[in-house]
Amino acid sequence: MIMRSGQQLLLPANPVFIWASLIVALVLNMLPLGRVPWMPDFIALVLLFWNVHQPLRVSIGVAFVFGLIMDVHQTSLLGQHALSYTLLSFLATLIQRRLLWFQVPLQALQVLPLFVAAHGFQLVIRLLGGGIFPGWILLMAPLAEALLWPVVSVLLLVPQRRAPDRDENRPL
Amino acid sequence: MALGTLDRTLPPFFNQGPSALSKLIFFGALSLFLMVADARFHVTQPIRAVLATVLYPVQWLAQQPIHLVHNSGEYFGNLNQAQSDSAEAGKKLALQSLRAGQVEQLTLENNRLRQLLGLREQLAIPLMAAEVLYDAADPYTRKIIIDKGQLKGVDLGSPVLDESGVLGQVTQVYPLVSEVTLLIDRNMAIPVLNARTGVRSVVYGDPVVGGSGIELRFMGSNADVQIGDLLTTSGIDGVYPAGLPVAKISRIEHRSESTFSKIYCVPQALVTGTQHVIVVKPVSGQLPLRPESAEPVAAAKKGTLK
Repeated sequence: MIMRSGQQLLLPANPVFIWASLIVALVLNMLPLGRVPWMPDFIALVLLFWNVHQPLRVSIGVAFVFGLIMDVHQTSLLGQHALSYTLLSFLATLIQRRLLWFQVPLQALQVLPLFVAAHGFQLVIRLLGGGIFPGWILLMAPLAEALLWPVVSVLLLVPQRRAPDRDENRPL
Repeated sequence: MALGTLDRTLPPFFNQGPSALSKLIFFGALSLFLMVADARFHVTQPIRAVLATVLYPVQWLAQQPIHLVHNSGEYFGNLNQAQSDSAEAGKKLALQSLRAGQVEQLTLENNRLRQLLGLREQLAIPLMAAEVLYDAADPYTRKIIIDKGQLKGVDLGSPVLDESGVLGQVTQVYPLVSEVTLLIDRNMAIPVLNARTGVRSVVYGDPVVGGSGIELRFMGSNADVQIGDLLTTSGIDGVYPAGLPVAKISRIEHRSESTFSKIYCVPQALVTGTQHVIVVKPVSGQLPLRPESAEPVAAAKKGTLK
């Protein structure tokens, strides 16, 4: 893989860790905090991250399944989140090769339109189906997700950034 | 360098699976199909029930931290609060016991009068208490999830009440939990009776952003409605038992462009923050069947005409 200069060579990703991170995101999304329209969608974030970094392991099919799970949990229209996550991970595969050439803060700027598209898609579907307009505060959700992108980029790459040979100077 | 340092499995060159676009089209079509099946034909109940049951442990896990914070907050709540609560509860109880005494007497009197008039005995209503697990996170509807489901005998369409009035209706039953659509949801309508004038009408959910309200529609601008009128269930829908408080009229707007006035109501139940609810069996199961009249009578009439 061709990488941008100065980037660390990563260890192979552990599939168990990938799935664990998705489950943790699911639990975070399921915290019973009530109806908070600006709540960032952690699953969308983690799905997009793995779609960009490990496209061979996590792709559109996984996104669809997690979308269905979110639909059942939120009692929303069945297929609403599934369609939006499917779209999101398709867009992720489109920009995946370009995105990794940028620094992480610039990556956040690049993924913002993707999140806006995913949320906008859901909004249009629900308003067509006769839902209640949740208010403009909804626009905060994609913004919060984009702001969390650098955090997630650090957290989820920690296991791959460990030292290949551990010694006293580099215990981790 | 250790062996596990680099990804040594070759990425597949030829066997890449279906392309991203074809996957997008397949899953997109599948989710569109699901949406139509869900919204139009209501056939996705089994999928939802299975997924909801599988998800139950994860949901339970997610609820624990919130419960913990809530409970510890209560635990450290101060003595004064507890004392004032207890005093208030005592007052409420005294008031209610007065009413309860009256109810005994009224029920007796009512029964005698009914027998006198040869009316049917009033329906006995089976009840079930339930706890609210969480507000559904979907911002496009107003729903809550309660902790009783199919296994405990919750029926689809059961009315749900809290201690001060009607809260909503069960709209989806899963094996372990059920989903209650609140009165203030846009798709909810309840037949009501104005307790002061006895006029029957229907109220509709009217959610405004960040608030909760319901609306009494199709009342002419000259209709007899006043601010503060109590609306109770009329019981003619065969779902809600009659006489439960639903809402109070809070604001009346007479509009020149319409023959109807816009009437805002405030729900009596605590729609945004209740903890415990009562699930009532729908009345329709207990109503007698419609008499098979119409046609035989008409036929007989024809016969006599001939």
